[in-house]
Amino acid sequence: MPKKTWENTLTEHVLLKRIPTAPFGNIRDRHVVGYDEYVKTGGYEGLRKAVTMAPKDVTEEVKASVLRGRGGAGFPTGLKWTFLPAPDEGHRYLAINADESEPGTFKDRLLMDFDPHLMLEGIAICMYACRLDRAYIFIRGEYHHQAHVLEEALKEAYANGIFGEKGLINRGSNASGDAFVADCYVHRGAGAYICGEETALLEAIEGNRGWPRIKPPFPAVKGLFGRPTIINNVETLCHLPFIIERGAAAFAEQGVESSVGGPPSFGTKLMGVSGHVNKPGCYELELGIPLRTLVEEFCGGMRNGKKFKGAIPGGVSMGILGPDQYEAELDFDIGRKYNVLGLGTAGPTVFDEDTDMVAVARNIARFYKHESCGQCTPCREGSGWLYQLLCRIEEGDANTKDLDLALEIATSMGSMPGTTICGLADGNNWATRTIMNKYREEFEARVKRTYIPVSIGVS
Amino acid sequence: MAWITKNSAGMKIERRDEPYLTPAMRDELINTHLPRYEVRKGALFPALHMIQHHYGWIPHQAMLEIAEVLGITPAEVFDTVTFYEEYWTKPKGENLLAVCRSIACEFCDATACTEAIKAKLGIDVGETTPDNKFTLVELECIGSCGTAPAALFNEDLHENLTPQRCVDLIEQIRSGAYQPGGTGAVKDE
Ligand SMILES: Cc1cc2nc3c(=O)[nH]c(=O)nc-3n(C[C@H](O)[C@H](O)[C@H](O)COP(=O)(O)O)c2cc1C
Ligand code: SF4
Ligand code: FES
Repeated sequence: MPKKTWENTLTEHVLLKRIPTAPFGNIRDRHVVGYDEYVKTGGYEGLRKAVTMAPKDVTEEVKASVLRGRGGAGFPTGLKWTFLPAPDEGHRYLAINADESEPGTFKDRLLMDFDPHLMLEGIAICMYACRLDRAYIFIRGEYHHQAHVLEEALKEAYANGIFGEKGLINRGSNASGDAFVADCYVHRGAGAYICGEETALLEAIEGNRGWPRIKPPFPAVKGLFGRPTIINNVETLCHLPFIIERGAAAFAEQGVESSVGGPPSFGTKLMGVSGHVNKPGCYELELGIPLRTLVEEFCGGMRNGKKFKGAIPGGVSMGILGPDQYEAELDFDIGRKYNVLGLGTAGPTVFDEDTDMVAVARNIARFYKHESCGQCTPCREGSGWLYQLLCRIEEGDANTKDLDLALEIATSMGSMPGTTICGLADGNNWATRTIMNKYREEFEARVKRTYIPVSIGVS
Repeated sequence: MAWITKNSAGMKIERRDEPYLTPAMRDELINTHLPRYEVRKGALFPALHMIQHHYGWIPHQAMLEIAEVLGITPAEVFDTVTFYEEYWTKPKGENLLAVCRSIACEFCDATACTEAIKAKLGIDVGETTPDNKFTLVELECIGSCGTAPAALFNEDLHENLTPQRCVDLIEQIRSGAYQPGGTGAVKDE
């Protein structure tokens, strides 16, 4: 039975089953899980079951689980898959988003570091269900070690008949009837945050600069090399083996129903906690956990016994939870309830009472200035101006008027539909706006008053 | 980023007789990477990575060579190279130290680490030491926020840094005692 409110019912990890993590394992026992160990511990059972089902039944099962994308947007995965047109002669692609560059996010790295086959199994299931014959794992350039681990795991997967000519998905025994060769490659990025945006990612696989494309057409119809393409995050795909093996109902037992009448937040989620807590790290917990519980019970409380001042729910693009929002539940309703953009990657960065929020805003503005791809004027120009203004405010050189100007610039970025191509501008908008609004006094204390000259005519 | 353009008309390309794209690289590119992509330009990233990894930067002549193998224009190669931070269009020092400056790291004292490195090496961010041993840069989040502050030394990740550990690291590299591998992903307390 799906739960209405959060309670901890987890008796073992789902995604971190083979990656020892508190409370079910010791971080010191972590090691790279190879093919043999993966299979011995129940690996590839999901895929084996999937190929006995018709592809559309696999999609139905994923749809029934209401698995929502773990890459930031929370879009229902099964629904996304149904946007694909019917297969024809040409290639159909899967692009795996392993770009993970949102500041404060370090969850996909953990999965690729130690349990690469879990992701490969998810990839194979997705390819089978959606009839996709080529997959590219787009991994960010800075993840040298992880790319290496993946390459090795891929070799094992090919050798053991997961992908390739003799692949499991291709055998006559599979229920789909037709035979096709599924291939999977690692494609390494080269250091640009914007390549995490799904269409910029496609551009980067094609060898171009990472400029997001205007949608529509959506990638499901016209994506990589102009062909139908599905883009999913690493963690999203890692959920698939469990959903197929145990069923959608088992998945829905974890997590919570929506409290505002929206779609539910089922399943577990990797939560990478960073910042001023005693035990930062990546934990796997059920969606819907209140931030306070996460910090106090799982992360050993605030560092040095300090007071909580604020937290970014999951990557800087999401905005900030203020001092009075420590109780916020980390699920997909968070955007509607707490005046932030959304759950994002659910990796809270926590700040204690000594944190200078003006500096936080400046740091985030610098990030966007640096990472804007430059296609859209509000984003390219706005991010630069915003950074300069926030630097001035931080240094105490600004006036009260500048606060309004900064807010005006922030608010004008991305909020008007059709003025920017991708969501980076919205991220900048939400981050700056929520910090400035939720900590207004701090900003005001940093600026000089603006005196408006008034002349009075005496006659 | 990439939209900062400069006039490069009339620029002379330095050339050498020996190709940058060695026969082995050419082979790997044609036999391993090209078949993976539906259009030839898809293999541009792997090609650039090879050159970057081998030489530490991407000389113009190498871009011309890649363009020729892939059958695309040199301008297309240049366009891609200049967009991405990891591709260097100028030579850098033998070793690259890249400290994360994003949110979790800055507020867990990355600035103190960068300052310690700057003082130890006697250079500013973006510069290379006179002996050409080190280039220091700052990066945005490198996915180790839980073990902040973090830095990349070439391809190795170093986590839970302190100013002292940064100084120790540089000394180890200088004396040759450095063991490649970094701190890996396991948190050391
Ligand atoms: C500026 C920007 C950066 C993004 N960066 C990432 C990223 O690093 N990793 C990721 O998985 N998704 C990222 N996304 C979200 C993707 O566009 C896309 O929604 C996601 O990969 C879809 O996968 P999912 O449905 O499995 O979540 C980013 C989006 C934007 C607008
Ligand atoms: S919003 Fe910004 S990052 Fe996105 S396409 Fe436009 S300029 Fe590029
Ligand atoms: S903020 Fe430095 S590694 Fe993420």
